[in-house]
Amino acid sequence: MDIRVDTDACVGCGLCVKDCPMDVYELRDGVSVPVKPKNCMGCLSCHEICPAQALEHRGIYPARRHYIDMRVCEMLNRVI
Amino acid sequence: MMTASYIDELHESFHTDIVYRSEDIPLECTPRPSEMEETLHGVMKLNGLIIRSLEEIAGRGANAVTYRAGKKFGHEIAKYFQKRDDVEEALHELSDLLRGQYTFEVWKPEDKENFIIEEDGQTFIYLVFHDCIVRQTLRRNGQEQGGPLCQTLFGYVVGAIEEITGRRAKLEIVHTGPNACLKKLILK
Ligand code: SF4
Ligand code: SF4
Repeated sequence: MDIRVDTDACVGCGLCVKDCPMDVYELRDGVSVPVKPKNCMGCLSCHEICPAQALEHRGIYPARRHYIDMRVCEMLNRVI
Repeated sequence: MMTASYIDELHESFHTDIVYRSEDIPLECTPRPSEMEETLHGVMKLNGLIIRSLEEIAGRGANAVTYRAGKKFGHEIAKYFQKRDDVEEALHELSDLLRGQYTFEVWKPEDKENFIIEEDGQTFIYLVFHDCIVRQTLRRNGQEQGGPLCQTLFGYVVGAIEEITGRRAKLEIVHTGPNACLKKLILK
């Protein structure tokens, strides 16, 4: 897995470090660094918890998401 | 034993060039569910409500009920499988059968050499569940993962493995996430 952290966006809160079950991240000089990207199994909990939306996973398998309410997404896209 | 090429092939099937950014708002579900969206949401809503009510009435006993239901289902489905001793081969067969409903792969952290891991007197295999109808139902209803509805899946996998291999097994949650969940299949 290729994991990238937007170092300008990262606020160094360490939530991804704590939340990742595979200890993929470490905080170094106030930003998150993916030190063990090969241990990532693609759960995306880190994306859900990161308040700065600073993370990017390349090469991930996106699970089916039929539960999403498309009307809400369309509305959000109009607003944003 | 499961061959190395099968494992490579399986891992390859979960590798894409997709870039996933936190800020992405999905514009479409794949495959498009427009034809069956209302029915699907209705079924998910109903399942969520049944599980919530079961929890209210039966408390922790709810897990036992759903686990047993899943286990029966697993035994039922796997009755028609060829019986074999090899757990990895049984998992291979099961993952083919469940593809789309509960798509999973065998997985290991980078410091482990084999998929069958022996640690602290336990023999286990890590399974990463990618597509999962239980996760979709729970997230559709704003319910927590890891509760009684997840127990149906646990029972299902354990029941199927027991039926195919004749070996007792147990499934434990290691982590639940929005895109995948890590489970441990403990072999007895
Ligand atoms: S996707 Fe899951 S396993 Fe991978 S880095 Fe994020 S929290 Fe860790
Ligand atoms: S959760 Fe986000 S903001 Fe916080 S340390 Fe991790 S990447 Fe940085």
